[in-house]
Amino acid sequence: MFKLERRMHISRKVSSIIVFLSFLLAFFVTGVLFYFLGVNVIQFYSVICSVFITPNLLIQAVFRSIPIILASLGLVVAFRMGFWNIGAEGQMYLGMVAATGIVILHVFYEAIPVSLMLAVMSAASFLAGGAWCLIPASLKAKLGVNEILTTLMLNYIAMLFVDYLVYGPWRDPEGWGFALSVPFPDYATLTLGGHPSIAGIIISVAVATLVYILFKYTKFGFVLNVLGKSSEVAKYAGMSVGRATLLGSLISGGIAGLGGFYVVSGMIGRLRPRASPGYGYTAIIVTMLAQLNPWLILPAGIFFGGLLTAGDALQSLLRLPSSAITVFQSVIFLCIVLAEFLRRYRIVLKRWKQ
Amino acid sequence: MEGHDVSVIPLVELKGIVKRFPNVVANDHVDFSLMPGEVHALLGENAAGKTTLMNILYGFYHPDDGEIYVKGKKVRIKSPADSIKLGIGMVHQNFRLIPVHTVWENVVLGLKETGFILNKKKLAEKVKRVCEEYGWNIDPNAKVWQLSVGEKQQVELLKLLIRNAEVLILDEPTSVLTPQETKNLFKALRIMAKKGRGVIFITHKLEEVFEVSDRVTVMRKGRVIATKLTNEVTVEELANMMIGRSVLFKLVKPAIKKGDVVLEAIGLKVMGDRGVLALDGVNLRIHSGEIVGIAGIAGNGQEELMEVLAGIRKVYSGKVFIDGEDVTNKGARYLIEKGVAYIPSESTRWALIRDMTLVENIALKLYRSRNFSNILTINWRKLFEFSKKLIEEYDIATHSPSKLAGILSGGNLQKVVLARELSATQDGKIPKLILAAYPTKGLDVAATEFVQGLLLKYRALGSAIILLSEDLEEIMMLSDRVAVISKGRIVGEFSPTEKTVEEVGMMMVKGNTALGGRKVCLS
Amino acid sequence: MSIEWIGPVLASTTSIGVVYLLGSLGEIYAERSGILNLGMEGTMAIGAATSFIFTITWGHTIAFLLAGVFGMLMGLLLAFFAVSLRLNQITVGLAITMLGLGLSGFITFPTIRKTVLQTLNPELPSTALETQSVPMLPPVSLSFLKEIPIIGPMLFNHNIVVYITLILAPLMWFLLFRTSIGLKIRSVGENPGMADALGINVFRIRYLTCILSGAFSALAGAYLILGFQPFWIEGMTGGRGFITLSLIILSTWNPLRAVFGSLLFGGIEVLQYRLQLFGLGATSPQFVLMLPYAIAVITLSLLSLESFRKKMSAPATLAKPYYREE
Repeated sequence: MFKLERRMHISRKVSSIIVFLSFLLAFFVTGVLFYFLGVNVIQFYSVICSVFITPNLLIQAVFRSIPIILASLGLVVAFRMGFWNIGAEGQMYLGMVAATGIVILHVFYEAIPVSLMLAVMSAASFLAGGAWCLIPASLKAKLGVNEILTTLMLNYIAMLFVDYLVYGPWRDPEGWGFALSVPFPDYATLTLGGHPSIAGIIISVAVATLVYILFKYTKFGFVLNVLGKSSEVAKYAGMSVGRATLLGSLISGGIAGLGGFYVVSGMIGRLRPRASPGYGYTAIIVTMLAQLNPWLILPAGIFFGGLLTAGDALQSLLRLPSSAITVFQSVIFLCIVLAEFLRRYRIVLKRWKQ
Repeated sequence: MEGHDVSVIPLVELKGIVKRFPNVVANDHVDFSLMPGEVHALLGENAAGKTTLMNILYGFYHPDDGEIYVKGKKVRIKSPADSIKLGIGMVHQNFRLIPVHTVWENVVLGLKETGFILNKKKLAEKVKRVCEEYGWNIDPNAKVWQLSVGEKQQVELLKLLIRNAEVLILDEPTSVLTPQETKNLFKALRIMAKKGRGVIFITHKLEEVFEVSDRVTVMRKGRVIATKLTNEVTVEELANMMIGRSVLFKLVKPAIKKGDVVLEAIGLKVMGDRGVLALDGVNLRIHSGEIVGIAGIAGNGQEELMEVLAGIRKVYSGKVFIDGEDVTNKGARYLIEKGVAYIPSESTRWALIRDMTLVENIALKLYRSRNFSNILTINWRKLFEFSKKLIEEYDIATHSPSKLAGILSGGNLQKVVLARELSATQDGKIPKLILAAYPTKGLDVAATEFVQGLLLKYRALGSAIILLSEDLEEIMMLSDRVAVISKGRIVGEFSPTEKTVEEVGMMMVKGNTALGGRKVCLS
Repeated sequence: MSIEWIGPVLASTTSIGVVYLLGSLGEIYAERSGILNLGMEGTMAIGAATSFIFTITWGHTIAFLLAGVFGMLMGLLLAFFAVSLRLNQITVGLAITMLGLGLSGFITFPTIRKTVLQTLNPELPSTALETQSVPMLPPVSLSFLKEIPIIGPMLFNHNIVVYITLILAPLMWFLLFRTSIGLKIRSVGENPGMADALGINVFRIRYLTCILSGAFSALAGAYLILGFQPFWIEGMTGGRGFITLSLIILSTWNPLRAVFGSLLFGGIEVLQYRLQLFGLGATSPQFVLMLPYAIAVITLSLLSLESFRKKMSAPATLAKPYYREE
């Protein structure tokens, strides 16, 4: 007879193996599902593989992975401290708003020196994303409001706020009535090294390094780690739980906000409605797949960026809808959630007694 | 079997019950019986195995060995639902009620007789009728959160009575009640017994045994010491059976000249988790080089005292001074920096993180120290070396400080906590004040000896130490001074040589009724 | 401004409100039993997509029934992960939403839909294979009641699903608050340990409510396309599943209050269309659309205040898995 036994602890190695096997399981499950829906599964997977071995497509994959990576790095901070932030999407939108706001300030009022534009924009994005995350964090710290529902609801408010701006006050007067902001001037776009993905890679690696350092070496990172494992022990050790929650969520939302900055400044070059196709949600999967490890976020993020790229290829090559990729993503998601079960319980074969 | 008519079939009979938990045998071949129409007190110290035994009867735990008979028939009770079908019900210390539901909803939940559509009026009336039988005055339509603690307990009993439970188990029911509520409860219990039900009454208060029970079974350390008719025993006999004497090795306790006052608490009042005063005006003064043992039956405020001195619980009124400085409500961090070390009860849960490495656990407070960090970052290399040294010094069974804490045994985990708390003060000096709550609980002889030796060592080094222990002998042996706590007050303070274990035991169980609630403070 | 526009506005308020009401009826049960189904949005999408396809092949009634069945399957998936495996309901729910949105887009993609339709019914004409729109449920006008001013057009000129939903709401209220099964469901959400001790099968109750929530979510999606907006667009649910979650918070987990809440949220949506239609200068439809979400955040915060917490807080074990001890 099988018996489930709760594990008292789990080593990082075993845990990684379980997550990786679950990830592989997702390929199998998706294959079976698509087989029954009449898709040529081998072609499906070969298109996805081709993304990662064709240089052009790989660059595209990396390009599209950067907002996902940044949002995930933000989530690493939140999840490590036990703050269930599912609001990266909204925090990204706030980041976009702040960056665009700075551009508009400059275009119409010339308030900021050109050389400082990108720095000011990214700082503003960080603060705006962080502030957006501070709303649910302070509601949690002060009133004990569950952050899951509030962060989720705030996503929609942020998205609609962007709609309001680009349909309303921030609509480009020379945009033929389309819901778009003014295009960003060159000095407000990330063109470093000829392709925006280069700046993106630099930012991602830099942020990943900072997050790594935060948790590996700093006192504050240690506090967040302890807080995520047990807030009682954190209190016992004399850590101030409320302040850590606020500061941690400010950083978490801030990094997602940087992702928003990259979307408008590096990818689109202006603000438009629905500028994120759900990067903030994909980031949740990436963060869980990478097991909250900032370095693993990079390859995991690129994989999902690759899936987005593959979505286009599927459409043109196999006449499959891009929603096939959404299905694949969700199966991966479910399998990683399943891994959590295997991490918590050991399946033991037991001889029946009595 | 002693003291009752053999021809009557007992409601419940437990034979040779054994229950083992990791590290401890909670019930060691326990026999117990309950006759119809009797109130049977189950008396014992905390962790004597009373609650475990009753949880087995209630179907919450499964015994490793032994047999259960209900009305003469052998049964297997797999779950609480089974025991309810057999007519056995239990009222736990923590009520299992739904505060947002009405009284009648709580009572009739899961009853078959209600039918599909719940007739509010009829059900409320039915509940009301049962209430009247016992002289209770609860509105069945009231929401449970609106009720007083005593009334909530009555709702718990109603749940059992409406199911016609013949065996009612009450786990320390008076610990949350006012004297008046206690009186009412006892009255109701007598009515229940008169109607032929059997009541098992778990308690550690001697006066209650005499007040309400027909028979009493005393348990200690997982075993039954005796079962007696209540009117055939004296208070002294029961107290001796309950506290007992454990055979202990002798420790050499060198004489130490006590130093300056380290801690002084004046008129300390503190709220407990239930929103009632857990400490009701405690005065305490401790010198360096002195161990003060707090003796008391569990739940009389000693843990709250430790928490408030560690800065984890807020002071309601009164003052705390350390080295003459007012540190009232300054918070845990401030006190840690002042040199307060705290070994909480259940330290492996509240003071350790199993999913973190030993270094990280050792760093839990130390990471702020200037020796191991700068303004921003932690010097993990130095901490690693330091942890290695501690592991060696405390003989912790592990290969490396970078192993997860969770793989260690309970005894080794306790050593980790001690190592951190005693050796790892912020400024590298010895701790000024050590709060040790049950530091030897669950440890084997060798580990116990090790911990006791440590406390004496730090006493010699000049720390002031407060010690809680479930083992009165241990308190008497280690302490320079013993303070007896009862109902949130210190009811006696003396040198361990002045009194015998039996006398202290009496003070503990009789509480301030014996001493008239006089606050005594010697120093 | 003339008064004539009030009639149609009220009618469409009811019409859209029913989407929310229908979805909330099942999910209220789930949340009352301790299950938070963040998969609602995806399940709604599945309901809309399947009913779209099955309406073309087999008509309205069967389309509704099958949508419900597919919804139940989604609910079953949630139950397996959240109840049996005791996994985090939030992540499972989000994954199910993603799965539902993906699958609904996938099966309705023109080429795939064509194959699906042909497999289901080889005799379909080619126009049916290509169409994006479906015949709408016919209104059943209760002519004598329709003449009542204001309430008449608001309530009595709708399709059959609207009537059924409006009747269902009080029935579901009665079932939840006045019957033994309802008491069991509510108790399981408040204190599963206590319910278990009294012999109530916590797992069975939660499976039941998960499936119920799935079914009603899918029916809400089916109604969305068959009764309100009769043409398929990918992503047509547009966050309405999450709005339904807000509605449930606002109605404090009570099916009768949900009737009023859904009319309020329906009204908000209609108001927003009207604002766009009239181009009412400075008033922006986006702020109106934000209201449901903002209301949810504010309600949640208010419910956390000490004075409210005892009287009508969220079910105590909402989104918390139940472990039997020992």
